[in-house]
Amino acid sequence: MNTSAAPAPTGADAGPGARTSLARRLLNTPEVGVVAACLVVFVALSVDKPTFASAVNLQGMGFDLAQYGLIAIGESLVILTGGIDLSVGALLGTSVILMSWFNVRAGLPPVLAIVVTLVIAGAVGLIHGLAVTRLTMPPFVVTLVTYTVAQGVTLAITSGTSITGIGGLFSDVGQMYVAQIPLPLILFVIVAIVAWFFLERTYPGRQVYAVGGNPEAARLAGIRGERRIVSMYVTSSLLSAFAGIMVLGRMGVGSASGVGVGWELSAIAAAVIGGVGLAGGQGRILGIVAGTVLLELINNGLTTLQINANYTNIVLGCVLGVAITADRLRARSVARRG
Amino acid sequence: MDAPADTAVLLRAVSKSYGPVKVLDIPRLDLPRGQIVAVVGENGAGKSTLMGVLSGTVTPTTGTIEIAGASLEPGRPEHARELGVALVAQEFPLVGRLSVAENLLLGRRPTNTGTRPKNQVTRALSRLVFDRGATRAEARQLLAEVGVTGVDVDRPVERLPVPVRQMIEIAKAWGHRPVVLILDEPTSSLGPVEAERVLDLARSHAAAGGAVLFIGHRLDEVQAIADRVIVLRSGRLVADLTPAEATEERMIREMVGSELARADLTPPQTVARTAMLSIRQCTADGLGPVDLDVRAGEIVGVAGLMGSGRSRLLHTVMGAQPRTGGSVTFEGKDFRPQHPADAVEAGIGLVPEDRKVQSLLPAHSVRWNVTLATLRRISTRGILQPRTDKEHAARIVKDLGVRLHSREQPISDLSGGNQQKAVFGRWLATDPKLLLLDEPTRGVDVGAKAEIYRLIDAAAEQGLAVLVASSELEELLWLCHRIVVMAHGRVVADIPRDRFSKQMIMTAAAGTATSAAGQGKAST
Repeated sequence: MNTSAAPAPTGADAGPGARTSLARRLLNTPEVGVVAACLVVFVALSVDKPTFASAVNLQGMGFDLAQYGLIAIGESLVILTGGIDLSVGALLGTSVILMSWFNVRAGLPPVLAIVVTLVIAGAVGLIHGLAVTRLTMPPFVVTLVTYTVAQGVTLAITSGTSITGIGGLFSDVGQMYVAQIPLPLILFVIVAIVAWFFLERTYPGRQVYAVGGNPEAARLAGIRGERRIVSMYVTSSLLSAFAGIMVLGRMGVGSASGVGVGWELSAIAAAVIGGVGLAGGQGRILGIVAGTVLLELINNGLTTLQINANYTNIVLGCVLGVAITADRLRARSVARRG
Repeated sequence: MDAPADTAVLLRAVSKSYGPVKVLDIPRLDLPRGQIVAVVGENGAGKSTLMGVLSGTVTPTTGTIEIAGASLEPGRPEHARELGVALVAQEFPLVGRLSVAENLLLGRRPTNTGTRPKNQVTRALSRLVFDRGATRAEARQLLAEVGVTGVDVDRPVERLPVPVRQMIEIAKAWGHRPVVLILDEPTSSLGPVEAERVLDLARSHAAAGGAVLFIGHRLDEVQAIADRVIVLRSGRLVADLTPAEATEERMIREMVGSELARADLTPPQTVARTAMLSIRQCTADGLGPVDLDVRAGEIVGVAGLMGSGRSRLLHTVMGAQPRTGGSVTFEGKDFRPQHPADAVEAGIGLVPEDRKVQSLLPAHSVRWNVTLATLRRISTRGILQPRTDKEHAARIVKDLGVRLHSREQPISDLSGGNQQKAVFGRWLATDPKLLLLDEPTRGVDVGAKAEIYRLIDAAAEQGLAVLVASSELEELLWLCHRIVVMAHGRVVADIPRDRFSKQMIMTAAAGTATSAAGQGKAST
């Protein structure tokens, strides 16, 4: 590059920026709020109910966190591209049934049952991605179709009964502890780190943000956004199936009742609470993980406090309301500066 | 004010500034009833701003506006409508899914609702009910008044062809029974028959005591209809002509300005012999066939009116719009981009027209924005090292002289000029061989403009081929070695620098004189 290098007077017309820079940094770092909220809730509950911070309860939360967190990450990757994936919960439920069916009814060894299920889930994600990019169908509708069909498939396979007698590998993965830490939690942390690395340290990751932030600008800058979008839908579906392994192992039977139903909403809620902008292009893994943790802390905390479970959704809904309002206000302040 | 009773519109000291740039400055303008006043001017002369101010969509910085004796509350479109201003815009704000009838009566109720309920309660209730029959009847009547026949008022507007939609837009404005009818290039999308109907409508409105403000590109049409022609240039009213004075030559002269502003800028002299880019018989949606060569080190301008195909040409070369025919050779090799990514890989960059929509990631940092086209290049095996990333961005920002507080601040914090410099930096960082520029200085202040011109010049000096489309003629006259003029998707003139003339370009662009095309063509 070869342009006359006039010295750039930095800060010349930035206005009274220096003083507000900390506030602005916080404004641009929505994760701060969620992480703080996690700490406050955790400390408050631990002080109030010592059982809350007990090893057993923490381990329980670890299992929950893994299964919700995995689909929250998948969901967030899709939202970052400017889409939405309503099928993550339903697909998780179907994966649980598919894995146990392949293992028990079709007699495949557990590893093979897992591989086949992952392939099927990946194919579903591929269809989502292609429908969204090639046919320019609204992601909401595309994944709503899968949501419905997947739930139907689950019921059709099981006719409402559970599949028992699954291989030992599942319970190994779903229930094992490594140094007192649940294995699913460790796997979740690994996935989170990989996702973080992808988004923050690779160029395709940056391109995902670009596509979600402004698809036309990304296209004209020579970014093949379709590829990024398709691969994020595939990843999301794969993570659903992967989370399905943990769920199946933890339950010990392939059950169709209530598994994964409505989990897509928790995943979306976790993403939004963690600062992922529903318009796409905004959000980081730290926030997504913190959002999942916060939801889990509240969920578990309400149980610990022996608050009637019927109130749980009211509280979670209010937390979500606060989070999206904050997201809106932040987006507005960004737009106003623009 | 001291206006005579037959004045429909009165403007006093009206001006509009965006930051330091004054885009409209009109000390005084009266539009009497019974007259058709035509407004002409180059792109960016302030025509749209004037219309916007009158119709309430643009809030003037200073001044007062009176419509039929009542003062207009600035920036309130609905108030302007109440006072009797109706605007027929170039882009139709029709609701595609709704029927013709629903569009025509959008936002108001049919005026003749057959039987009036006597009871107060039923009357109140009837106000909530959508009276389909009366709506249809009034829609048919309106269409008949503007001379449209054979259109089913129940059809969704999106299924109708563009000319019919334009007529519906006119009927919609007409339905508000306006005092002042503003027509913004109403005939540009119409065939000759419909165009004549619109002109008739304008005439009858004026004859009935209304005022008409007619914005036109087609000067023959302006001559045919106007009782008075006002010319805008750089936001100022520079001429107020009677029909006798308003010859085509005179209008163009007033639009262009008397003398050609010579800039100290002259494009570099080093131009290669062979073409970097050759376009042969290239066609695409709304484009072509086009033949065009751009050589290394050469800055070629693309002039033309709005919709003449300037942007389409650039987008087709970039691979952002599919080519339907012809061939493009880049660096001597056949070039068929399927996606802009192919063009970027080959060494082509595009600075698009609409910065906010087509260039920027508005919520993201300057760093992210300037490195967008080179992400892959600065990564090793797909991995983006934070330090490389930061240093790369720092270099771009420094080389381009982008003024900023921090590279991590959102790019939307920067001024338009600095945003545009960042976009240039994004592309210069790719070491391109061909740069496609679409309105490179739109929304950029004067200082940054000069810097951007210098950047383009310096890059061309290094052997970069530049194809620059602009609606600002001055800009092309300063920058380019050669200017091609486009009209209706084709190149109609190719003019070398020693024969640059604003008049010739504008005549060619308007498509009225073919002689200019003939004259210019001799040069290649």
